Amino acid sequence: MSEISQPSTVVTALPEAGPKIVAMRGFGISGRPTLLISLATAIAIVCLWWAVTRLGVVPRLFLPTPQDVLTQFGAIARDGYAGASLGEHIYASLFRILTAAGFAIVVAIPVGLLMGLSRWAKGILDVPIEFYWPLPPLAYLPLMIIWLGIGETSKITLLILAMFAPICLSAQAGVKALPIERVNAARSLGASRLQLFFHIVLPTALPEILTGVRIALGVGWSTLVAAELIASNRGIGYMIMSASQFLATDVVFVGIALIAVCAFAFGAAVKLVEALLVPWKGRT
Amino acid sequence: MLTIDHASVTFKTDDGRTVHALDRVSLDIPDSGFVVALGASGCGKSTLLNAIAGFLPLSSGTIALNGRPVAEPGADRGVVFQKDTLLPWKNVIDNVALGLKFSGVSRAEQTRRCEDLLDVVGLSDFARAFPYELSGGMRQRVGIARALAADPDTLLMDEPFGALDSLTREQMQEFLVSVWARTGKRVFFITHSVEEALFLGTHVIVMSPRPGRIVARFDLDFVRRFAQTGDSRAIKTSAEFNSLREEIRALLHGAHELRSVTQ
Ligand SMILES: Nc1ncnc2c1ncn2[C@@H]1O[C@H](COP(=O)(O)OP(=O)(O)OP(=O)(O)O)[C@@H](O)[C@H]1O
Ligand SMILES: [Mg+2]
Repeated sequence: MSEISQPSTVVTALPEAGPKIVAMRGFGISGRPTLLISLATAIAIVCLWWAVTRLGVVPRLFLPTPQDVLTQFGAIARDGYAGASLGEHIYASLFRILTAAGFAIVVAIPVGLLMGLSRWAKGILDVPIEFYWPLPPLAYLPLMIIWLGIGETSKITLLILAMFAPICLSAQAGVKALPIERVNAARSLGASRLQLFFHIVLPTALPEILTGVRIALGVGWSTLVAAELIASNRGIGYMIMSASQFLATDVVFVGIALIAVCAFAFGAAVKLVEALLVPWKGRT
Repeated sequence: MLTIDHASVTFKTDDGRTVHALDRVSLDIPDSGFVVALGASGCGKSTLLNAIAGFLPLSSGTIALNGRPVAEPGADRGVVFQKDTLLPWKNVIDNVALGLKFSGVSRAEQTRRCEDLLDVVGLSDFARAFPYELSGGMRQRVGIARALAADPDTLLMDEPFGALDSLTREQMQEFLVSVWARTGKRVFFITHSVEEALFLGTHVIVMSPRPGRIVARFDLDFVRRFAQTGDSRAIKTSAEFNSLREEIRALLHGAHELRSVTQ
């Protein structure tokens, strides 16, 4: 049947002109690039900042100039700050968040999938999860410190708890999004329960799971910095905290910029993973 | 033998009404039988197919395949769905190979068998395309190739050619007949085209809606004749074919009028 006669398309366009390539009109952003717009906005904000400090609208103590912040960054990178080098501060924060993210991902995805698939798992695990996850992590940080001490364990546990819920809930939502026709089709092609899970359930839930991971990393950064502000002697959050005690606004700005850069890099990494694992997201 | 004995299905709609989608339907599909179901939209054809496939339990009655009651879906009953159910993360050839993958066939063998099938359904050039890059009829053909690749004893096909142009449709019909004649598969086939039903079926059943029942049944041999002679035009233009077509058409219209009178 490969010989079905197609009405032959007459190619009249010159080779160098080539046909105009088109695609379905989208709705909303639908994949069009936003990078240039964002870049221009970033530049505009820095310009505005510079203008405001230049005009002296706000005292320098409250709002340092961009140059101040850059100079301060150079100084911190050279000499360190508050008893540790810049690298040690960044490493401390990254270590905490990455360890916690690793744990949260490894535990929350199977638990969430299980809760999406099993009535018993859902019934039982819903109680603790629905109870704890609306709580602000800082509310139970004191408990963590009392139980687990002031060291790394309490902070990492706090982060794991904060990041667990979004991933677990998104994995559940991913399973819920599974159309029954897809399951039926696979079963009548002879899929075993295990094959059903790995070839149908998991890929169907994957886009939602990755969205959950992205949200979890965001939650992770805010929780981390808050935890470091309260109980730590290393980390970007700690740096900001010490600086604020000396009204060193420029150091606070350096700290904030560092967090922004790290969080942005994390977001970009997840987007990259999404592009690799679920290129079909949103198209069926 | 596939035996359907007094199968009834009653649904409850969300607003609390009950719908008798199937009412004591009895039907036997012998080995290498080709049963085609005709009937107005909503008369329970897909419901019957879902029950045979094992997707839907019966309210009462039994369905047995070679003596064993049908309890759940299985690879012995391949399904071509009315709405396509391709996996968006797999390209065309991997979608077609899904059943072979599940049964542990080697990768090379998967590719070999599926490439042949894709050639037959006219999609060789699209083997590496993703479902969202295909037209409705192309997706439908992928679904057909997927069911055939798994090589089930029984094929359940829900309006498989509904989205195809008439030429492709005829080619697909003839291909299906050749597969059926060669392998002796049992086929349950749903369509809205009387002509298609007559051409393909060894048995044609006509159903009426709410409650879903079989109101007429025809035993035919056009398809066997075609399998022997290969001359479809001669069959489709024969007087016998045309008079049966008119008879069934009248029956379908009659069932329709009957319903409007009783409502
Ligand atoms: N899940 C369901 N819940 C409630 N009613 C249903 C359900 N599925 C089907 N029905 C009802 O059962 C009847 C038969 O539906 P079915 O899908 O079998 O029709 P059909 O003959 O395949 O129609 P078509 O030719 O349009 O595909 C319809 O009246 C429909 O409303
Ligand atoms: Mg139907």
